[in-house]
Amino acid sequence: MTEVVITGLGALCHLGAGVDSFWKGLLDPAPPVATQAPDPLAHVPISNFYFLPEGALPPWPTAVDGLAVGDATRAALSVTREAVADAGLGTLDVGRTSVLLGTSIADAYVIERWRAGEGVPADDSWTPVFSTASVVAGHLGARGAASTLSNACSGSGYSMAVGADMIRAGEADTVVAGGFETYSRVAHAAFNQVGALDTASCRPFDATRGGTVLGEGAGAVVLERAESARARGARVYATLTGTGWSCEAYHATGLDPDGTEIVRAMREALREADTAPDDVDFVVPHATGTRLNDLVETRALYEVFGERTRRLPLYSLKALIGHTGGASGGLATVAAALFLHHGHLAPNLPVATPDPDCPVHVPVSGGTPAGRTAMVNSYAFGGNNMSLLLRGEPR
Amino acid sequence: MTADPVVTGIGVVTEAALDPGCERRKGWFDHRAELGRGYKYLPRASQYLLAATARALADTGARLAGVPEHHRAITVGTNNGVSELQGEFDRTVIEGDSTLLSPATVPYFSVNLVGSRVAMEHSLKGFSLGVHSPRVAGLEAVQHGVRALRAGRARWLLTGAAESPLDRSEPGAGDGEDGAVALVVEEAGEVAARGGRVHGRVRVHSFLLPPPVAGSPGGRERAERLLATAFTALGVGGRRPQVWLVGGDDAVTGTVGAALGEGAIEVPAGAGCLGPAVRVAELLREAFTEQLVIGVAAQGNVSVAHVVPTPR
Repeated sequence: MTEVVITGLGALCHLGAGVDSFWKGLLDPAPPVATQAPDPLAHVPISNFYFLPEGALPPWPTAVDGLAVGDATRAALSVTREAVADAGLGTLDVGRTSVLLGTSIADAYVIERWRAGEGVPADDSWTPVFSTASVVAGHLGARGAASTLSNACSGSGYSMAVGADMIRAGEADTVVAGGFETYSRVAHAAFNQVGALDTASCRPFDATRGGTVLGEGAGAVVLERAESARARGARVYATLTGTGWSCEAYHATGLDPDGTEIVRAMREALREADTAPDDVDFVVPHATGTRLNDLVETRALYEVFGERTRRLPLYSLKALIGHTGGASGGLATVAAALFLHHGHLAPNLPVATPDPDCPVHVPVSGGTPAGRTAMVNSYAFGGNNMSLLLRGEPR
Repeated sequence: MTADPVVTGIGVVTEAALDPGCERRKGWFDHRAELGRGYKYLPRASQYLLAATARALADTGARLAGVPEHHRAITVGTNNGVSELQGEFDRTVIEGDSTLLSPATVPYFSVNLVGSRVAMEHSLKGFSLGVHSPRVAGLEAVQHGVRALRAGRARWLLTGAAESPLDRSEPGAGDGEDGAVALVVEEAGEVAARGGRVHGRVRVHSFLLPPPVAGSPGGRERAERLLATAFTALGVGGRRPQVWLVGGDDAVTGTVGAALGEGAIEVPAGAGCLGPAVRVAELLREAFTEQLVIGVAAQGNVSVAHVVPTPR
């Protein structure tokens, strides 16, 4: 099978803009402080949110080729440009480069602001809010497919998996993939109403956890055919060796308590990568801090990795940056790629009151060896699951 | 691994298909009559897609039970499928608060639920993918779905597009599309083994022609090159099948049309991704020779679908 490697990274979240800010934030983790959504029309019981820091995102462009765009597209532009620059791709092979981006709600807030009477356009032209990949591809100079996907909180994972398949199928040589999510009144209200939010903080695997805290973010990677990346002397963060796709087909928002399909996704990724469970060195779990998700994912990890799960290092990213929706898998993959590249995991934020029903290993000390093989899990409303397997370069 | 994916089932749920004479007094779509009880609170796009799926399944003449659940998958395109719902939710939150949102409906703020609801209905556990690129999402859904079948990620695929009108608060609301198309795609060998009917084959190639490039002096030449690459990728080579150009009144559609030259039939598109998918379904049913359906968005997305109907 054609090898697909990750050669560029881009990150944006509560910790700041850029991979350097992200990495520094991971290495020196501080409990995040949620702020209230600065949206007087958002009448919701829980308004905590992890917003991007002031200045992390420029307020422009506000329109691209006549299409109004908002923070979501600006966030995607920020991380994809960074990833392409990081990959050392001064010029893209325009016809052989595609852009695939996942999101839950895209630029819905553009419409929400209009709905609230703010800056309503005089023009009556259709404004498709899921145009982000088109805008990004236009800016990057990519002329392959420019596809905006959803798949909610596993959107990034799917964009990378589909992107890798495009390369393997010969449809593209390079794919800029990832995901993005910024504030939306509707999404925040919906998460409130389904009871998925914690009033204090996002505390995966903690016995006192009550839900997640939403955050803004975007994460992107550059995927390349390994042969061409190595031929041009590109820095390779990791090889995307396996992708495991599955669908719960069970409930609109909840995981199947049996965990059957998330187990299958993990096993499919391992099978495709021709990797044994014992060879996985660490996992970046989906771990949202909701009661059911963490419990089911823990059981699924035991199903796949057996008793070794007790000592298999997990990196619980959402405890630090919140749940960034469609960006979460992208940022998790950026984190995993950085760990593999640097050879060690970042310290987790401590789990204050470990849940006895979630007996997992969340190391808080720095320097946990990353080894060579990482798994990244993403799950979503609608039951869309994706597990990715990454193999680091030999050290 | 699905080496030769073929279309075995077609379901179209639009006003033109269900009520061409506009004779139904209570509207062209009756979810209760189409789906039975229990679907009232779903977004319309979801109802349409469920109804189109039922038609496509019946059209295959085969039972889905013969396909293991983890080999069944769905890829669906929609641009505005939850626009109305999000508009209603937003007004509720602005004028009241989020506790007034219907618990049954609230998950559908997330647009991937349009396809996921069909996955739940038919135990499509292989994977579910929502695609939303302007205008071409339905064709891209076919592209991503067929590729995944070929990669062995499933053996049976439900693909297509679903739209419902834009919320009244959105620009262009009067031009929103309404309806759904569902196609069942399977491996040719398996269909032959059961003596099933094949409507034909659909392959899609997509590219971007950014509006500034389309509007530049070299735009037409660039479009010609991108189209030539697409035709080669689709195996059309030097042949020139009938082309259906589904787009709007914009620079990108104009440039693609100019690059195609005379002979292309222009089909005005509404706000959404349904139009190109409907055309593909119609050609699979009605055409006698290979055809090309080209969906174009003002944002630069272009998808070329090569439709090869089974010889009749």
